[in-house]
This record gives sequence, C-alpha cells and structure tokens, in this order.
Amino acid sequence: METVISQTGNASVFKEKANKILGVNLQDAKISKSYLSVAFIALLIGGTLGLLQGLNRAGLLELPSWLNYYQVLTAHGLLLVVVFSATFTIGYFYAGMSHTLGGLLPKVRTMVWIGFWLKIIGVVLVVIPVLMNKASVMYTFYPPMAADPMFYFGLVFVVLGVWMACFGGFIQVANWRKNHKGQHLPIFSFFATGVFVLLVGATAFVAVEVIFMIIPWSLGWVDTINVMVARTLFWAFGHTAVNIWYLTAVSAWYVIVPKVIGGKRWSDLLTRIVVIALVIMNITGGFHHQIVDPGISESVKYMHVFMSLAIGFPSLMTAYAMFAVFEKTARKQGGKGLIGWYKKMPWSDVRFLAPFIAMLAFIPAGAGGIAQTTNQLDQVVHNSMWIVGHFHLTLGMSVAMTFFGISYWLVPYLSKRVLTKGMNQFGVVTTVIWTIGMITMSGAMHTVGLFGSPRRTSYTTYFDNATALSWDPYLIFLAIGGTLLMIAAIMQVYAVFNLMFFAPKGETEFPIAEVEDGEAKTPYWTERWGVWIILMIIVVAMAYVIPLTDFIVNAPPGSPPFKTW
Amino acid sequence: MNQKTFGLGLFIFLIIPPVANLMESVMIIHMHMQMPILVITGFLMAPFFQSKFSRFFEKWNHNGIPGILLFIIIVGYWMLPRTMDEALELWMVELFKFISLPFLAGVPLRDSWKKLEQAGKNTVIIIFSIAFIVMGWLYINATMQLCNNYLLIEQITLGWGFLTMGIAFVIFLGYRFFFNPSAYE
Ligand code: HEM
Ligand SMILES: [Cu+2]
Repeated sequence: METVISQTGNASVFKEKANKILGVNLQDAKISKSYLSVAFIALLIGGTLGLLQGLNRAGLLELPSWLNYYQVLTAHGLLLVVVFSATFTIGYFYAGMSHTLGGLLPKVRTMVWIGFWLKIIGVVLVVIPVLMNKASVMYTFYPPMAADPMFYFGLVFVVLGVWMACFGGFIQVANWRKNHKGQHLPIFSFFATGVFVLLVGATAFVAVEVIFMIIPWSLGWVDTINVMVARTLFWAFGHTAVNIWYLTAVSAWYVIVPKVIGGKRWSDLLTRIVVIALVIMNITGGFHHQIVDPGISESVKYMHVFMSLAIGFPSLMTAYAMFAVFEKTARKQGGKGLIGWYKKMPWSDVRFLAPFIAMLAFIPAGAGGIAQTTNQLDQVVHNSMWIVGHFHLTLGMSVAMTFFGISYWLVPYLSKRVLTKGMNQFGVVTTVIWTIGMITMSGAMHTVGLFGSPRRTSYTTYFDNATALSWDPYLIFLAIGGTLLMIAAIMQVYAVFNLMFFAPKGETEFPIAEVEDGEAKTPYWTERWGVWIILMIIVVAMAYVIPLTDFIVNAPPGSPPFKTW
Repeated sequence: MNQKTFGLGLFIFLIIPPVANLMESVMIIHMHMQMPILVITGFLMAPFFQSKFSRFFEKWNHNGIPGILLFIIIVGYWMLPRTMDEALELWMVELFKFISLPFLAGVPLRDSWKKLEQAGKNTVIIIFSIAFIVMGWLYINATMQLCNNYLLIEQITLGWGFLTMGIAFVIFLGYRFFFNPSAYE
C-alpha cells in the first residue's frame, strides 16, 4: 500500500516522505537497537547454556553443584523462548511501524521505553532465584513445583513490559488510521497489529495464572492450587507465544523476502486473511500440549485436534504463497524449466538464504507438529527428546534463522551503516554452520526420542541399563550439533554488534515489497480489528469453557507447593 | 465452490446421523456449536432464496424487522432447555430443528441484517446479550437437571458458555460505543 503518499494531502504525508528520504528516525532507531541488543545477548547466553546441556546429555560434562542441569535448562528455556524471541519481535515491529507509519509518536516512544525497562527488571528478578537454585521449575513452571515468589514477580514485570509495547503499538496504529481515513494499514504494520493483539491475548492467560493462582499460593496465602487449571492457562499462553514468534517470521517471509529477491508480494488480500485467521484461531491450539494430561475427556481432546489442524491451514497457505512468489520472480528474471528457475534465486545473499532455509525447515517441523497433535502418535513421543528436536526445528530453525536473516539488513538500517560483501559472506557461512548444527542436533534429538530418551533429564545411564546406554551414540551427535550451533551463535552475535557499531557508514533500505501491478483492491473489511478481536474471544470461550468448568466444578483437593529439586 | 453450495454441503454434513449424534452428545456443543452452525448454513444459502423469491422478501421484509423478529423467535425457542430435550426424544422436533434454524433463522437473518438501521442492529445485539447473560445465570445456578438428557455438570458448562458469549457481546457493544468507525474509515 505504498500508494499512500500520492493519495492524500495532509501534513503527515510530508513527514512520511521525509522519513523515506532521510532514512530512519534516530530516536526510534535507538528503541529498536536496544531491543535487538538484548535479544542477541540473550541468544549468546542462552546458546552457551544450551551447549552445556548438550555436552551434559552426551555424558561429556558434569555440571557443578552450584549450577546444575535444571538451573541451566530453566534459564536456557526462558532466555530463548521468552527473552530472545519477545525482544526481537518488539524491536523488529517497532522499527517497521516507525518506518511505515511515519515515525513513532512521542507518547508511544515513552511507553515502549517503559516497557523495555519493566522487562529488564523482570528478567533480573527471574534470573536471581534461578541462579540461587530456588527456581528450577523450567520455563513452564508447572505447579505443584513451586519457585521462590521473586521468580513469579519477575514474570509479572515481563508481562507488564510486553503490554506496554503492545498498547503503544495500538495507539500508534489508531493514530495513523485517524490521519489516513479509509486507507489500509500498511501490510507490515498489519502484521504488527496482529502480533500485538495475540501477545495481549496470550499473556492475559499467564497473567491470570501467575497473579491470581500461583503468587498467592507461593506466598502461602492459600494452601493449594488447582494444577489442571494452571497448566491450561499456561498453555493458552505458551502455545500462542511460540506461534507469535512464528507469525513474526512469517511477516518477513511475506513482506520482506519478496523485495530482497526483487519480486512482488503475494496477494495482499490473502496475506491479510492469513494474519486474521491466525489471530482468531491461535490461542485455542494450547490444548495440543495437553493431549496426555489427565482430566480432559477424550471427546474434548478429539475436538481440539480440529482446532490444531485449523491453524495448520494458514501455514500451508503460507508455504504455497512463498513458492508462488519465488517461482514468479525467478521466471521474470529469465528462469526456465519445471524446476530450473531455482537457479535464478540469490543464493549467496544472506538476507534471502537464511529465511529460505528457515522456510524449508518448516516443512519437516510442521509435519512433526501434525504428527504430535494426533493422540496416538503423541503417546509415543510425549516428553521424549523428540519434542525437544521438534521445537528446535520450529523455533531454533524457522524462527531464529529468519530473525538472523532479518538482522543483516535491519541492524545496518537502524545504525545507518551498510552490509558489506565480506559481512554478507560471513553471514552465509554462519547460516550454513547453524543449519548443519541444527540438522545434526535436532535429527539426533528426534531419533533418540523415538527410542525413549526423556527430555528434561540430565545425563544418566539408569544403572547402566541397556536401553539407556543405546542412546549414547545419538547423544554424542546431539553434542556435536550443539557445538556447531554455539559457533554459529557466536558468529551471529558478532555480526549483529559489528553491523550496529563498526560497519561502514551508509544508508540501508528497509525492504518492503510492493503488491503485484493491477491487483484488485483489498476490501475494507480486513481492517475491522474490533470484529476480529471479538471473534477471537468467542472462539477462545468456546474452546475453554468445557474443560475449565470441568476442572473447577469437579476439582480435586488441590496441591500444596513442592520443591522437587 | 460458492457460498450457496458450501452452505448446502455444510448443512448436509451436519445432519448426517453420526455427526449429529456426536454434536448432540455434549450439551454445550449441541446448543452453542450445532445450532449456530445450522444458522450459518442458512445464512450462506440465503442468496439462493433471495434471488428466487426476491418479490416475497421485498414485500414482507422490506425494512428487515419481520425477518429479524422471526430470527429472534426461532433462536429464542431453541434456547429453552425443554426444546433441546425434545429434539433428542422426538424425531419430529429434531426435523423441525434442522429446518427451522437454517431456513427460518439463518435466511431471514441475512436478508434482514443489511436492511436494519444501526440502532436496530444494536438492539438485536443488546437483546441477545441480556438473554445470554440471563440464561447463563440460570444454567449455572439451577440446582436441578433441566434436561432429562444432560447431566448437571453439562448444564453448568453451558451456563458458562452463555455467560462468556454474553460478555463478548457486551465488549462488542462497548467497542461500538467508544470507537466511532467514521473516525477511522
Ligand atoms: C546454541 C544453540 C542451542 C543448543 C545447543 C540447544 C540445546 C538444547 C538442549 C540440549 C535442550 C535440553 C533438552 C532437555 O534436557 O530436555 C534444550 C532445550 C530447550 N531449548 Fe535449546 N538449544 C539451542 C538453541 C535454542 C534456541 C535458538 C531456542 C529457541 C528460540 C531454544 C529453545 C529451547 C527450549 C524452549 C528448550 C526447552 C526447555 C525445557 O524443556 O524446559 N534453544 N536446548
Ligand atoms: Cu502449540
């Protein structure tokens, strides 16, 4: 919707134009740079902890008593699945909102800074008890395992910080729409809106769980907790969170990657429908993490298979859309043959290569997900290393590698620098190492999981049990993959800070693809966010009322807190 | 596939006995999933009737009010516990359910909604918000079984279903009230 400029004649147009010519707004860039810095520091620390875990699982490293496996695992999970992903997402979308909506409002800037510091305080409060071995509850913090209350207060601050960023985004978008009546929100900001709506929806559940159930219980104000309700609220959040990170990656696939390869976007209308569908249907998918949980009747679980597969539909549409864009672009540039056109893709451009491999990874990752959402198949892999292999493919490959690919243009854009040939080469090498590492590690995890190796368990041979010993060769591969990943993580973080502070000065473009010429105008109903949010609430209500009523009305006595470590 | 055939296909799918049985085996799914989807199938099939009987709709439903009243009556009827029970016991009533919800509720809803003024639309939503909250309160607090075919726990579940939907409607009304779309569109 780049035609915005020529269509209107008010003051903000001038600002937008100025923005495009002068490049990034420096105050806004500082926000995004801060968020991205935190993200990549979290990646470095989290990756290091991941390596420790990998080496331990292979029996190569005994962790000291002051930093045991479960402390490391709790920190690894939180740093990567919460801190890295959330801060990257916010930094990235704020950069794009500033770019496509004509600079952030001062009020919004203040909000997102407050959010930043709330999150930092929150993470510090979470990390302290973990380091003191008072919160080895993993990132899922399932009751009845109880951590030090400080851990939960930290989580509350993190959520408050996220809310600040989300509501800042809503204000920014509402203001733009007031000044651009009747126009469609630029596609990048449309994705941002969807992501922020989902973030508020998802974190609302975990806020209820933590504030109204866990904190009173961990402080001793109430004696017991309803474990099933807590788990259900957690997964409404946890599932949606990872889908939000995925949607963030998808936004780059739809909006950025076509531009990088010199092509046009896929259908604007269908892109917006994918966002809307994911926003409406996402939260209820949380139940597929509870397929093996007691207390949910078979028929309800059965119906939730549909809800999970329903989310698969927009994902498949995405795969189709992407390959359609690739082929179209390549053929325009002279690519020929049934598959010969692929030679025309810019394989040596890291800004394309990284997200492309990320998309490819989503094929096995999505297939694995569909397998896991099937009751009988999940019985085999539940709580095994297979699951860990699965989410390292989805998050560690599809999401993380798209984020890496984004960083090679976003960071120079923000810091008014350029991506040199050498740095691009460096990025390609990083991408290759990360890919090999992740294939090795995740392949080993998937396989050893099928043979029964449990997740979340530090190295043990179970008194030299033959089955457990048979896992060892695979676990060695896990460690090898983990080592490669660590190398790539260090390279990636180096690249980010180099691009932020040392790369040659210059202007880098924020690559947003245009729609195909002559595409029909997108109908206005796609902008009715109020309606989408109400539909989301109704779908959530339909999905959650049956099990939650059952858990509460037929509740067991409840559980006191336990410290199991 | 256009809307009309999709609606017809969905309608046929819903009346296949195993599908109908499965949906009717859970009270809340019977009332809050099967019945609304039946209405939706009628909504989707409506253009067929609107073009076939355009004179009829024009004559009897030119301002949308008769149609919306019919919709409210039919849907209101199916919100009563007794009617659900009967649908499970008497095949005549079951048949009536499968005919009335799509054709006497879904079709008139589509024909009327566009014709209603904003105030009319809001009134309809307000009526249903109140009805849902009252029904929710009733189902949650009734201490005895209201349906022979469903247990007390299912009734409580349905009550919460009503209440949450009612809340969603209220949020929607609030959104309509506080956000003036003409400021954005
Ligand atoms: C240097 C790269 C990485 C290595 C070597 C690594 C390794 C591992 C290992 C060995 C486990 C523990 C398995 C277990 O005992 O259950 C694990 C868990 C996990 N990893 Fe990674 N990982 C890496 C990167 C990532 C990334 C990029 C993400 C997400 C963005 C991620 C998210 C997670 C999560 C959520 C868990 C589960 C924690 C839990 O079960 O509580 N990891 N990782
Ligand atoms: Cu999930």
